[in-house]
Amino acid sequence: MSQTADVVVVGGGIIGCAVVHALAQQLPRSTRIVLIDRGPIAGATSGSSMGHLMVTPDTPQDYAFSRTSVRLWNELAERVGGFHFQATGALYLADCDEDLELIPVLHEQFRDNGDRCEILDEQRLREIEPGLAPDVPGALFYPGDGVVLPMLACGAMLREARQWNESIEVRAECAVTGFERAGGRITGVATARGRIATPLVVNATGVWAPELAEMAGQPRLPIYPRAGNLAITAHHVSPIRTQLLEISYLRFAHGAAKVDPAGTDDPGGHAVNMQPQSHGGCLIGSTRQFRGMDRTLNRELLHRSLARAQRYAPALKNVPIVRTWVGLRPYAEGGLPFIGPWPHLDGLWIAAGHEGLGISLAPITGLLIAQQIAGVAPAVDPTPYQPARIGA
Amino acid sequence: MSERVRQAQVGIVGGGPAGMAAASALAARGRSVVVLDEGQRAGGQIFRQLPPGVAPPAGVSEPPSHDHGHELIDAFEGAQVELVSGATVWDSKPGRLWFEHAGESHLLECERILLAPGAMDRCIPFPGWTLPGVTTAGALQVMVRGFGVKPGRRALVVGSGPLLLPTVTALLAAGVEVVAALEASSRWNALRALPGVIGNGARLREAMWYMKQLVRAGVKLRWGWTVLRCEGDRHVERAVIAKVDGQGRPRLGTERTIEVDVVGAGFGLVPAIELGLLLGCDSRHLAARGGHCLVVDEQQRTTIDGVFAAGEIGGIGGAEVASAEGALAAAAIDHSLGGPAVSEPLVKQARAERRASDAMLRAFAPLPGLYQLANDDTIVCRCEDVPLSEARAAAELHGRSSRAIKVGCRAGMGPCQARICGPSLQQLATADPACEMDVPVVRVPVKPVRASTIVNAPG
Repeated sequence: MSQTADVVVVGGGIIGCAVVHALAQQLPRSTRIVLIDRGPIAGATSGSSMGHLMVTPDTPQDYAFSRTSVRLWNELAERVGGFHFQATGALYLADCDEDLELIPVLHEQFRDNGDRCEILDEQRLREIEPGLAPDVPGALFYPGDGVVLPMLACGAMLREARQWNESIEVRAECAVTGFERAGGRITGVATARGRIATPLVVNATGVWAPELAEMAGQPRLPIYPRAGNLAITAHHVSPIRTQLLEISYLRFAHGAAKVDPAGTDDPGGHAVNMQPQSHGGCLIGSTRQFRGMDRTLNRELLHRSLARAQRYAPALKNVPIVRTWVGLRPYAEGGLPFIGPWPHLDGLWIAAGHEGLGISLAPITGLLIAQQIAGVAPAVDPTPYQPARIGA
Repeated sequence: MSERVRQAQVGIVGGGPAGMAAASALAARGRSVVVLDEGQRAGGQIFRQLPPGVAPPAGVSEPPSHDHGHELIDAFEGAQVELVSGATVWDSKPGRLWFEHAGESHLLECERILLAPGAMDRCIPFPGWTLPGVTTAGALQVMVRGFGVKPGRRALVVGSGPLLLPTVTALLAAGVEVVAALEASSRWNALRALPGVIGNGARLREAMWYMKQLVRAGVKLRWGWTVLRCEGDRHVERAVIAKVDGQGRPRLGTERTIEVDVVGAGFGLVPAIELGLLLGCDSRHLAARGGHCLVVDEQQRTTIDGVFAAGEIGGIGGAEVASAEGALAAAAIDHSLGGPAVSEPLVKQARAERRASDAMLRAFAPLPGLYQLANDDTIVCRCEDVPLSEARAAAELHGRSSRAIKVGCRAGMGPCQARICGPSLQQLATADPACEMDVPVVRVPVKPVRASTIVNAPG
């Protein structure tokens, strides 16, 4: 079987689905788009992740990037829905002096970007989150964050994309086996179900992006899996109703990693992130550890992170846990995702490396790729995410 | 239980016939044994005992096989074995079994593990199967035989397999009128099992005993019939039944409506292999034995060192298979700990029981047509309220693997962790009853436990 396509997107996670969604929106209806994944749609990282929609105000660029994406999520929820969107906001919790110092910093960052957030006194804290331990020394509430179910969101994006462009083909459980090149550019993709001639390929395969880049004859992409252990409770027993985040999360999870991502000696760490779920349960994360593609549970880290969650939400103690699992976040060297054309092979694009913010940043990522391909002015300055930064 | 960490030479998961037979035999050989069981008393599902102080209904007789059950229970209760009832095993590595008991977190350290966790009812969804009053056949037996509860007045028992009969007699014993007992398999299929049953005296006596009970109560066992749907306002009030062909497909024009307030549906059993998979044991798919079964060798060893398995976990076979394999596993475990070699008669006995059981199960081969009972609105995953239409859409967009269906519609993500929907989900979502079923993915905790149990896990 042989066919032709205008764009082949490889990787059926949230990033690949968002790229297809944005391409369908930005390009003419006649554009032939194929989405391909060797596993299920949303079967890997996006099917294992938390669904935090997070606005990060560190810099004006960061803020514009993350805020635009969360706005796009809100619009998708309004238009399409079906992926359990909840406008929970986020409650940043302090537990020590070092944490308490971060609260005014974060407050100022949101305000500097013209956004609003609230430093809570004891009474307001109790109002917003009655399930909280009484001895939490400080907290900040940011109302703009939310929660989605990522795997259902993948389906929602693809269904809307198909409304805009009926010809979109989704090939789940079909592996890419190679690339065809001629004259320094991509000319086609070989798959387990036949070849596809195409001038454009978007590599949206997350932690597997380096493997795919290698298949295209390209030097190793600096993306490394960073494992997270998660747990979920039974229905209707969530001890909290807001999304909780330890504010130390900002020190721990943001920016460039402080350990060698390719090493094997990362002891790992954790910062509590608890999300109420639409079924009344609660999703509990999150741990971070570089240890290659290993997806076995780190019992020690999981137990420690659950103990921390219990510290903030004491009622969790008696709540049934129904499942734990491990997901692999795609950490990109430097801490920022790669979004844009690959500089060494014409026709190859990359949208990968969002670490723990892939769900949150998927819509803006898809939009930046589609706008650059369509030759439209990008919604946010794409410069910091250009793959050309590698080796620069 | 005060000690949070305890040691034994052998840790046994499950206090049914396999676990009891193994525990008694190991104790007789001087081994220290701890049995972890979810039930309130030893016996398992098949030889379930009423709670202490609850008397069985008067005038109830038991099938001949229960003599064997009483022998097993008597031997077990008289043996030097520690039984932890109400224990939920939630995590395991070779030599270690973590469990929750009375809200506390415990660890059993043992040199050998024997997995004898039994089986679960197979659910095949049909319209109305989630109405109150409609339960699995197994659940009806638990109500009657485990708690002395009378579940209703007029019952319909439907499904396929040898367990329909004890469900009928349990209901009769509880004073429930059994309006009909429908076996989906045809009389013709039943004939295929005949040589196996006639050649096995115990099974023949058992079958005769049940038939006698049914005749005495005026309950007719209809072969080649099943339920099409259940209806009612907030509770089942009636069931529409119909004849099915040799593949289990309903025959149009044969529908009948009967008024009932209890429906027990039992489409066979599924081996409970989760703990084995968590330990890394190999499994294989044997449709005739209920689906994915743990692989065991001729001495009940799994593919993981120090982990043995007996009974339904290696394929549905019934109590006789379970107790024979339990006794064999005990001898093999004893031998692996330095005891004498396993005697040939134990091996032969276990094999003979398997042969007899496999022969009988030929009468109840899976019927693909039963997967056509559900319609678009029928709930397939009752934890997450997923209708068939959404599961089909997931299979169409996300892929045909069980993982794809799960992430595409959330089926199997709820508290039962796909124990109920999993064994039929892929067939239903792909509309392909013959599709190759994926091995279930098992994650800690194997059964739900409190967060504090995980946080406080010893070791």
